[in-house]
Amino acid sequence: MQSRPLYGLSMIFAPLFCFVFFTTLMGEGLPESLPAGVVDEDNTSVSRSILRNLDSYQQTEIIKQYPDFAHAREAMQRNEIYGFFYIPKGTQEKASSQQQPKISIYTNGTYLIPSSLLYRDMKTMAVMASAAVGREILLAKGANMDQAMGFLQPIKMDMRPLGNPWLNYNVYLTNTILPAVLALMILMVTCFSIHTELKDNTAREWISMANDNILKAVSAKLFPQTMTFVLMALIYLVLLYGWLGFPHNNGFLPMFVAAVLLILASQGFAVFIASAIPSLRWSLSLCTLWGVLSIPISGFSFPVMGMPDALQALSYLFPLRYYFLIYVDQALNGIPLYYSAWFYVALLAFTIMPLVDIHLLRKAAHEYTYLP
Amino acid sequence: MWVKDLLDVTGKELRSILSDVGVLVFFIIVPVLYPLLYAYLYGREVVREVPVVVVDECRSATSREFLRKCDATPDLRIISYCSDMEEARNLIHRHKAYGLIHIPSEFENTLVQGLQSTVNLYCDMSGLLYYKALLSGCTMVSLDMNRDIQMVRLSGLSDREKDVMTMPIENEYVTMFNPVNGFQAFLIPAILILVLQQTLILGVSMLAGTEAERRRSGQLILGHEYDNPITVLGGKALAYLLVYGFTATYVLCFVPWLFHMPQLWQLPTLVAFVVPFLLASIFFAICISFFVRDRESCFLLFVFVSVPLIFMSGISWPTSNMPAFWKVLAQFFPSTHGVNGFARINTSGALLQDVRMESLSLWILTGIYFMLSLFIYERMYRSDKMPGVEFVLAMRTRARKNLREMSRDIKSRLKK
Repeated sequence: MQSRPLYGLSMIFAPLFCFVFFTTLMGEGLPESLPAGVVDEDNTSVSRSILRNLDSYQQTEIIKQYPDFAHAREAMQRNEIYGFFYIPKGTQEKASSQQQPKISIYTNGTYLIPSSLLYRDMKTMAVMASAAVGREILLAKGANMDQAMGFLQPIKMDMRPLGNPWLNYNVYLTNTILPAVLALMILMVTCFSIHTELKDNTAREWISMANDNILKAVSAKLFPQTMTFVLMALIYLVLLYGWLGFPHNNGFLPMFVAAVLLILASQGFAVFIASAIPSLRWSLSLCTLWGVLSIPISGFSFPVMGMPDALQALSYLFPLRYYFLIYVDQALNGIPLYYSAWFYVALLAFTIMPLVDIHLLRKAAHEYTYLP
Repeated sequence: MWVKDLLDVTGKELRSILSDVGVLVFFIIVPVLYPLLYAYLYGREVVREVPVVVVDECRSATSREFLRKCDATPDLRIISYCSDMEEARNLIHRHKAYGLIHIPSEFENTLVQGLQSTVNLYCDMSGLLYYKALLSGCTMVSLDMNRDIQMVRLSGLSDREKDVMTMPIENEYVTMFNPVNGFQAFLIPAILILVLQQTLILGVSMLAGTEAERRRSGQLILGHEYDNPITVLGGKALAYLLVYGFTATYVLCFVPWLFHMPQLWQLPTLVAFVVPFLLASIFFAICISFFVRDRESCFLLFVFVSVPLIFMSGISWPTSNMPAFWKVLAQFFPSTHGVNGFARINTSGALLQDVRMESLSLWILTGIYFMLSLFIYERMYRSDKMPGVEFVLAMRTRARKNLREMSRDIKSRLKK
């Protein structure tokens, strides 16, 4: 059916490239040794001990000391560091004479992830430096350690991130980005391959091969593609849950079924669009828009609940959104299948969408003329 | 006169851009609408009022105070007080809530004894922003209450003495250049740059695809009557640059202004940086457009690349932590340097000397891709794909003949 390198590139090479790219790019899981700087105008034993401690954190690496604030800010603008600690002159003097000095943390919000991670380390460090001073005073007054901690931090938070206790970015992002790229390619390839028949004037021959049954013609044409994409899905599922051992708390099967349904749903949606809009360029544009837009709107990086209401409603029209919800339930949280049943049904609904308008495609095949 | 030839090519290319709706979609409509859509999507910057459920086994005045204060933070909203963990879990499973605050029964007793008391937080990890909201909301409340508890225990001291006892060294936090630490200010500059590069690639490829299709059907191609390929290449690049002068002004200046995003750039820096970015993108686009054989295949070949490209730029996952191989590969895309340079010029007010590495890289890429596309053009000239004048004249006659045959064919079909 297809002998052009274009299909091989877009159905096999593109997804494979993205699978390898994303899983290796974020191989560390959580970024380590982020470059940070220091402005130590105090230069005393207290300030030096703060810096030593900070450097011992896994995620922070002090790469340079700067003489003043302006130099550190410029280094941040040059992207040499993602943040810096500012210890003003007289910190030790004030702390020992109980005048409450202030140390400052600056991070570059232009780069959100490293900025947030650095902040966490630096904040802990600042609080601990403060607590260390307070603890010394209390211990000197005769309190024991439990009492000292009970005084310094009476209420403590114990955070338990469910499903992803390592806060692993690879788990958090690739689980949705890989199927998203696959779904994008499916939407485009499906639409392109159907409309190319029309463009090249082979559509009539193609449909007559299926005894003029359009449904049969389309399914037969798309079946080899479906199989190729299922193979691709298997590759990324094995890569994520087998090779990398990402959480798949309900086992392999629920995610495999979800992936197959995502493929069918994307094909169904693309056929629906291809039938509704009898122009290669416009239907392909719409499928592309849908595929690209599904990445942010599925809500895996910025939650849907934070979006404007109109877009929240729109998110129901994207197959990837349901795949993401199934992933959260079945792989990340491992809750009973019952809770995800409707998401599977929704994907099925996308699959049968073409039944509504596929007769238009048949009509188009007989009357169509290609407009560039 | 090569200048006249060059302008001639520019004029023809502009005409073919304006007369091609498909190309106009990429050059004008997508750059106009797409950034608006994204800026709208991330318009709220952060998530507020994340719904959480509560299991309060202590049921004391202190635990109720803690929960009341949590509910009052901008980060959290308590949607239900559950009687046990089972009920709470059920609400989380049904995506009604994204976090659980559990206060153990001995919570107040421990506090009264003067020891450390623990509050357990469970967070749904489907989005890191839920985690951030739950942690920062509860931490804020606990710091606040800790201070109150300490104050009571220290009664008898002056306020100033209490401050010193509870927080011997104060600290403050400033997220520079992104005051609310939000998604829009961080992601949109990268998307704007990527939109420019990708629409250029798609539009130029569509033009090239159209030429390739015409070539196959024996129709005319642009540039045959000029004997120097450099004028053809230069003329086309000038045409794209003219169009993108407007597009880039809209995308890089107007869109951030419209959405009240940080805009700290200074005009000379911005212009001096965006020009090499556009040039590098244009010649890069021309280079890869040679691989395109028909109008619509650019969708399949180039759209998905945007997804890895945005990560290669290092705006999300830090460049310092990328494997070396990807870091090297990223250098070959104008968007990598464009995103890094523009994000810092726009968002953190960097000057040209602060982005000189990125700027230099873009000039180098411009040089590389210019030479490369010139080389390919040169070869196409020599081969029969882009022939000399005599051959073209012959082709023109053949094309007219084809056209006549086609119209006769259509007429006969219509009669049937």
